[in-house]
Amino acid sequence: MLRPLAAISHFIGLFLIATLSMTSVAHADRLKDIQAKGSLICATLSGSQPLAYQDPVTRQYVGFDVDTCAAVAKHLNVLMVHKPITVEARIPELALGRVDLVAAAFGYTKERAEQIAFTSSHYQIPLKIIVASDSGITKFSDLAGKRISTEKGSTPELYVHRVIPSASVVTFQDNASQFLALQQGKVQGFAIGMASGLRFVNESAGKYKFLDEALAYEPTCLGVKKGEPELLAAVNKVLEDMQASGELDALWNKWYGSQTKFNISRGKLIPISAL
Amino acid sequence: MTDLFHILHDYGLLLLVGQFPQGPLGGLALTLCLAVAGLLISFPLAVLVGIARTSTHTVIYLPVSVAVHLIRGLPVLMIIFWAYFIVPLAIGRSVSALTTVLCALVVYELAFMGEVIRAGIQALPKGQIEAARSLGLNGFQVMRRVVLPQALFHMLPSILNRFISLIKNTSLGYIISLNELTYSAYQINIQLLTKPFQVYTILAVTYFLICWSLGQAMTRLERRIQARRERTAAYVESTIIASA
Amino acid sequence: MLSLNFSSVLHGQYLHWFLLGAICTLLLFAVSWVIGFLLSLIVVAVRSSGARFLVAAAAGFVGYHRNVPELVQLFVWYFGVPQLLPATWQQLINNTGNSEFIFATIALSLNVAAYMSEDLRSGIRSLPSAQLEAARALGLSYISSMRKVILPQALKVAVPPLVNQSLGLFKSTSLAMAIGVAEMTYVSQQVENESFRTFEAFAVASIFYWTVSFLIMGLGTVWSKRLNMDGTR
Repeated sequence: MLRPLAAISHFIGLFLIATLSMTSVAHADRLKDIQAKGSLICATLSGSQPLAYQDPVTRQYVGFDVDTCAAVAKHLNVLMVHKPITVEARIPELALGRVDLVAAAFGYTKERAEQIAFTSSHYQIPLKIIVASDSGITKFSDLAGKRISTEKGSTPELYVHRVIPSASVVTFQDNASQFLALQQGKVQGFAIGMASGLRFVNESAGKYKFLDEALAYEPTCLGVKKGEPELLAAVNKVLEDMQASGELDALWNKWYGSQTKFNISRGKLIPISAL
Repeated sequence: MTDLFHILHDYGLLLLVGQFPQGPLGGLALTLCLAVAGLLISFPLAVLVGIARTSTHTVIYLPVSVAVHLIRGLPVLMIIFWAYFIVPLAIGRSVSALTTVLCALVVYELAFMGEVIRAGIQALPKGQIEAARSLGLNGFQVMRRVVLPQALFHMLPSILNRFISLIKNTSLGYIISLNELTYSAYQINIQLLTKPFQVYTILAVTYFLICWSLGQAMTRLERRIQARRERTAAYVESTIIASA
Repeated sequence: MLSLNFSSVLHGQYLHWFLLGAICTLLLFAVSWVIGFLLSLIVVAVRSSGARFLVAAAAGFVGYHRNVPELVQLFVWYFGVPQLLPATWQQLINNTGNSEFIFATIALSLNVAAYMSEDLRSGIRSLPSAQLEAARALGLSYISSMRKVILPQALKVAVPPLVNQSLGLFKSTSLAMAIGVAEMTYVSQQVENESFRTFEAFAVASIFYWTVSFLIMGLGTVWSKRLNMDGTR
């Protein structure tokens, strides 16, 4: 019949369009573009307290990652343009050149480093699993064969597969859905980085807790497009300056310090070469 | 019940306009703007598609038909994902989630609204086209002055139906973090955490009120068009009888 | 430079995921279709019954499902309704380990039932009203006349729009990915996240959807030809 033939011919057409349009990608100095534009497009998560979330009253985006972005932009003498993205969009957005900088709980892995360029790690956080306090689950082996919710394309998803291979992983689009699934008993664990997950545990008034074991101790970095050495060097320099002046610590303490309900330590600034 | 009221009171503005004016437009306002933009952009293109689908020239009919079948065979979500990756490649620079969703919805509507217009064109009595031709009008003029005005007028309810469909499809922007109504509801959900039923009820009711009112307008429009068609037919008949 | 390499996504773990995703999509489609179709027969019978409260309830059912986006319907069922269910019911559903699939099926079947009932209603309206009167006059109850006289004929008329609705249902299964159902779109995203081969992953999913869509439309054409061939009364 005509239709399958038409489908195949259309697909070949699509393939041709894609490969042909690839040739138009030329190398440009992104740092120069940013300085010429006068603005840095910085992407953060959108519902992760206190990393990056919408303040319900002002409806503005606030959080540690948002402040980090703003600080980098200020040090580069440009304006910050904020863009919310999902966890799984971080790499495509950078690879396609749609954002300049990503500050979104970006954990370093070798596979990811092949797709995008990581800056020095500005904080290190354990990846943990949240369970119901009364579930009787105390260690990872209790979760064998159970269901764990996590975010698509995140390092917690990756590590759950590695550390608890018999658990089945269910991914949802956003943290709220993942936690809801745990609350409604649809999953028995919720794997998330401690920085993003603390808020759920704290607000649950003891009903939910972190398991003591950590899936991994993850260095979190900022991300820029691969093949932009000037931009990478510039951002790394900004991070070093912020570390030396104590600005990085001050930002961290504002959101995670001892007077907040989170109270976890930041770790240190680790260059990529050491990872 | 009081929960619903509290949520509306605390987050009503977020649902209505997103971050505006401290940020880009979002919420219900964005949903409606997106749907209107989608309709305005896809409509002229859909007319071309509809005409092409009634064409007797295979070189016009075949590629357009293949494209329409392919678009209709994919879920809207897949089209949005494709747009997400292809549009920036085709244009050569990055685009926002809003542009992505708009492009995807326009492409989707091309296929469906094109079919609606095709149905409208084919529903016209052939006698009209023959009469126009015998009066010396060429193909283009026949389309422009005789066929399209009537076809589009009769298809207005179906076009309005596609508009309702557009509004519902904007909800998929949530999946790629577009700050429309469903996404705003997710923002509220992540604040409250323990009241998903109330939040989603408000969301469902909002969509229902808008789409249902449009649907009622469509039914009323349909009746008036039908009445007008009957009046025109009766007038034509009486003229024929009188002149006999 | 991008070079397409389909073998990178069609082997081992990824192929396994794609196959599971395809099976899940088809299963979700089939179960929702059967339940939705049977339910639509009931809804249309209720709607034509003339009992005012029942007719209003059926109209409300149809109105809700036609005017609220499917994504929102899925969320209401998966996240909203469990909040209202008693804990024992929640436990029961959760223990199946397939609560996403169950809720997706419920949401999709109700949705398609609403749309199909509208198509059947048009089909019924195209029949002469004398049919129902004659059936009742012959002593058949309302339900029997619906079952044996009206609905079979309405079904014949309604085949083309019903095929369209079936196609719509098949495509709507992709929305279930938002509530964690591991169907084709979900799987293609998963493969894409792990392999970074966006084009190939989505191309495989698209080819799957096109193939089954064409099959459904082909089946519909065959079915309507067969129905017309045995002659209408």
